[in-house]
Parts: sequence; structure tokens; C-alpha cells
Amino acid sequence: MQLLRRLMPRKGLHSTKFFAWVLIAPAAAYMCLIVAWPLVETIRLSFTNSGLGIEDYVGFANYEKLLSSRKFPDTIGRTFYWMFLSVGLKLILGLIGASLLAANLKGKAAFRVLVMPPWIVPIAIGCIGWLWLYNGHFGILSGVLQNLGIIDGPFEFLAYKNSAFYSAIVTDVWIGTPMITIFLLAAIQNVPRDLYEAAYIDGASRWYRFRRITMPQIMPMFASMALLSAIWTFNSFEIIWILTEGGPRGGTTTLIVDTYKTAIANYKYGQGATRAVLIVAILAVFSLLYLWLVNKVNKKYGDEK
Amino acid sequence: MATVALQNISKSFDDTQVLNNINLSIEDREFIVFVGPSGCGKTTLLRIIAGLEEASEGQIIIDGEDVSSAHPVDRGISMVFQSYALYPHLSVFENIAFPLRVAKVPEAELNQRVEHAANILQLTNRLQHKPGQLSGGQRQRVAIGRSIVRNPKVFLFDEPLSNLDAALRGDMRVELASLHQDLNATMIYVTHDQVEAMTMADKIVVLNAGSVEQFGSPMELYHHPRTKFVASFIGQPNMNFIAATLTASDDTSCSIDADDLGALTLPVAPVEGSHGDPVCLGIRPEDLSLATDGDAGGFIMKVKVLERLGGIAIAYGSIKSQASDSQSFKAVLPGDVQVAPGEEIRLHVEPSKCHLFSDQGIAMRRLKAEV
Repeated sequence: MQLLRRLMPRKGLHSTKFFAWVLIAPAAAYMCLIVAWPLVETIRLSFTNSGLGIEDYVGFANYEKLLSSRKFPDTIGRTFYWMFLSVGLKLILGLIGASLLAANLKGKAAFRVLVMPPWIVPIAIGCIGWLWLYNGHFGILSGVLQNLGIIDGPFEFLAYKNSAFYSAIVTDVWIGTPMITIFLLAAIQNVPRDLYEAAYIDGASRWYRFRRITMPQIMPMFASMALLSAIWTFNSFEIIWILTEGGPRGGTTTLIVDTYKTAIANYKYGQGATRAVLIVAILAVFSLLYLWLVNKVNKKYGDEK
Repeated sequence: MATVALQNISKSFDDTQVLNNINLSIEDREFIVFVGPSGCGKTTLLRIIAGLEEASEGQIIIDGEDVSSAHPVDRGISMVFQSYALYPHLSVFENIAFPLRVAKVPEAELNQRVEHAANILQLTNRLQHKPGQLSGGQRQRVAIGRSIVRNPKVFLFDEPLSNLDAALRGDMRVELASLHQDLNATMIYVTHDQVEAMTMADKIVVLNAGSVEQFGSPMELYHHPRTKFVASFIGQPNMNFIAATLTASDDTSCSIDADDLGALTLPVAPVEGSHGDPVCLGIRPEDLSLATDGDAGGFIMKVKVLERLGGIAIAYGSIKSQASDSQSFKAVLPGDVQVAPGEEIRLHVEPSKCHLFSDQGIAMRRLKAEV
């Protein structure tokens, strides 16, 4: 009897545990297949000289080569500059847009719909549109600037290092802003009206109410959008690739474009994988930062504690 | 230190008339309660006084000054919201300090005033908490604290107790009444709960469909409701109404023939009307008593439900002229009354306690009432 009693709960526990594993198994297998295996494979590749038809273990050679290359610090710097500038602009424009759209105007629904196209139009189509806008000879931007007398002749926006970089930023901001606007708008609309009325009765100006009620109230959403947008922008590939393919002379080559060029365009899979591993590492740091920050923001601005 | 006068206030949203020519004059330091069913315009009227809505017509005069288009701060009012409207991201201290920060009050004075308010409201050991950590009653106090730091001339309350449970509501009623005595300020309070109105008000404004139905002290409204609406709204449980016919009247009395009760002569001054006109007899449940053998007349009530509250018991049921399954007739009986549901009881009422209303719902003046 004693023995049986001692065994019973254990047996029960074992079968529950087993059942739990059975339940998790399909999802776990799926995650292994599409996330874990490619990740492990990428890390393995980064230690080889894998290319067309060859694959030998080379140790840290790829990493040494990458870190000692002259171009690499430029690429990293450019990537971060690209990310901070673009995300900053998206957040500022998104916040302004959301605040304006939250105003109680007639026909606000129409304005809200009008914000969406850059987000709804497939990115490739939008980018091809921008290609035409930036074109020196047929493009409307160059044409308008010439007519206004700001420039003398046709200007190819995508043909020079700096102008290509900032043109790509403009397109990236154009595509990325609507989603931030809509999310921030939703957050603003969730702020109880009573809070504004109470502050109004206490004499708070519009700006004061924005600063001390709207901003703190939407802060959790704002922080989430900032960090998600940062990750997406860091990895923003198709916009740059369609507009400039990373050119001219590497002027718009960010880390993700560099990875693609190395691995896919130049068939240097091993060296491409090295860059991919680096991206994973950077984004992992980003994600940790994100979790930490969101936690902190929720503590400071959330309802509880 | 403030009187408030509302002159010809009307308000309509698009085509809907919400308030219709409201005239009120509120004395300094009075506790005024706006009461009425939902949709009667009481909250809109409060918001107009606050400056959150603009009246379509009419003037608001506070302390002799026309403030109809002034900013809330310049009106010298403060308001406590139904939802409390506390800033969830700010501590209790910062919530209470908010109006002072807006007004850029120096730090030392700000601290002193917030602590003073916290003292009055027993929030001193909660100042560093966030509103989310407080109980409903404490949140309520923070909201009141925020309204008192500014030393407003007029306090406005928009159904402040409706989110609290019954026990807490009773406590807060007492606290608000004593706060009113301590602060010595004019207070205007909106509620749909006639108990709150009766217990706290110096004067009650009964609103119905955007108009003032009656304005007077609680006991005045209780004993001399001007209309059937006020009579049915004030008093708990509410008044019983019985159809009757006017048979004779002189200056000091009306004789009626009521359904169930038969011929009665009531000491009320008739309003215009003549013999044979339909009238409505009103009897408060608490004015009914079990008939003893000595009582002349009396009438039968069939009890359907008996609520025993301890000291009293409330019987719900019907009298003969009503459908037998009705529970609309109420009588307040002694707490230990020996009645079981389904039984019939014989009730008695003093004619001097009865109310009489004309067919249009206008009350006839009761001449032998207590007040």
C-alpha cells in the first residue's frame, strides 16, 4: 500500500509531463525546421569557405577577413545611421500624423484612409514609382526643381552617393510611416476623454495636455513601435535593392544589402553567412534592449505599480 | 464664497433639445443636487456650468459675474468626474498636484497644499502610489483631492459615487457631507440616485426631460412634490398611485372616489377641475399601516413578495383594481410583521398623509402636511 501510494503521484506526474510534450511537439518540430535548423546551418556555414562547389572548414577566417576589411566599418556605420535617421523621421512624422488624425474633424475617416496607400501598395510597386520620381530626365522631382530654377539641368537623384542615400531614406520613411501613424492613432484614441477634460478644467493648454497626458499614455505603444521599426528598418532590404542595389559605389549598402551581395550575387555563401550571423547577434542585442525598455516603460507609464 | 445663477439656459445638440430654459439661483455655500432619470440633461447642465459644453442660449453667472464664455479656470470651478479621471501614469501626489503644476505654483507652496489636501482626505500614506494600486474609495478621494487643491469657488461632482459598492457609497456620502461643512464651499452634485439627493442636499433640483421639475429642500420635495413625477422620483420605495375620481371640492378639501379605497375626503387645496374629473391618489408606502379593527374603511392588498430589512419589511403586491400578479403596490410594514407571501392584508392610511394629483400630474397643495 505504502509503496503504491508513493508511486501513484509520480506515475501521474510522468504521464502529464509526457502529454505536455506531445502537445508541444508539432509546434516544436515546426520551429526547429524553419528557425533552429537554418540558424544552426548559417552559423556552420560562417565557419566554411562555402561557395559554388566547394565547402571546407576555415575556422574564424571569414570573421577575421570581415572585421579587418576597410569597407566593413563604413557599412556598419551606414547601417546604423540609416536606421536612426529613418526610424526617427518615421516616429516624428507618425506622431504628428496620428495627432492630426485624432483631431475631431469633419471627414476624418477620409483622411485616415488617405494615409494608408504607402502601406497598402506592394513595396516593389511603390519603389518603382519612386524610381521614376527620382529619374533625372523624366522624373517629376528633377523637372519641378528645374522649373523652379533651383537646379540648372537634370539631376539624377540616385546617381550620387549622398543623394542616393537620402533619397532611399525618403522612400523608406514614406513606406514605413503609415503603419506607425495608424498604431499611434489607435493608442491616442484609447486615451480616455475624461483625462483631457479633467486637465482642461484645471487649465492645461493643448500642448501641456499632449505632453503630460497623451505622450505618457501612448508611451508603451510608442516604445514598441520605435523598437519594432528599428529592427525592420535595420533589415530593410527590398527598398534599397530596387532603388539602387546598394550603389552607387556602396553608398547605400547597409549590412543586409552587403550580406545579399556577398552570398547571393557573388556566391560566397560562407562569407555571406558570417554577415548574417553578425546581423543575428546585433538584432539579438536589439531584442534584449527592446524587452528591457518595454518592461521599464510599462512600469513607469502603465496603470499598475 | 460663491453664488451661481443660471439664466434661461437652453442646450440642443443638432436637432435634439437637451435642456429647456433652465433658471436656477444657487446661494453661497449651498449643497445642490441635480437629480433625475438618465437622459434628463443633468450631466449636460453640469458640464455647461463647468465650461466643458457651451449653452446654446442663456447665461451662467458666478458671484455676479457673467462667465458664460469664460475658461473653466477663470470660472473658479473644479470638477470630479464619474470615472475619477485620474492620470494612471502619475502618482497620487502628482495627480493631486496636477492643477497646481499647470498654474506653475512654486514647489514649496505646492508641497504644502498637496499635503494639506491629502491630510483632509486621509491619503497621506498613499501619496507615492499609482492610482491603479488604490481601492475605489481611495481613487475617489484622490479625485476630490485634485479638485480641492485649487481652492475653487464652486465644486462640481458628476455622479462621483456611482462606481462604488453600496457600503462604500454610504461612507462616502457621509464623508462628502462633512467635507462640505469643512470647506464651506458651494457644491453642485449630479446623481440619478434619489437617496444621495435626499441625504446630502441642502436643495434638490429635480430635472425631467431637460426642464426643472422642482427646486427645493429635500423635505419640501418629499412632503410637497409639485408634480406626480417628483412624487414618484423622491422617496424609497416610491409612491403608490391609485386612480380616482373627484366628487366634490372646496377651498380646503377634495372628496374623491378611489378604486379600492372608496370615498375619501382629503385636506388638499384643489387645482382647477370639476366633479367627475379623473385624478390620481398618491400614497407613500411608509404612510400605510396594517388596519386594526377600529379603523374605518381600509383596503385589501395581496402580498406577493415580502422583503424583510430588519427594522422594517417592505411588502410588494397588488390591490384589487390592479392585475393580481402585479407587484407594483408597496407597503412598509413593521419588521416582524406576520405575513407570508400570497396572503392578504388590510391596510389603512390617514387622509392627511395622502397626495392628490390632477389628471395632468400637477399636485394639489396638501394643507395638513408636516412641513
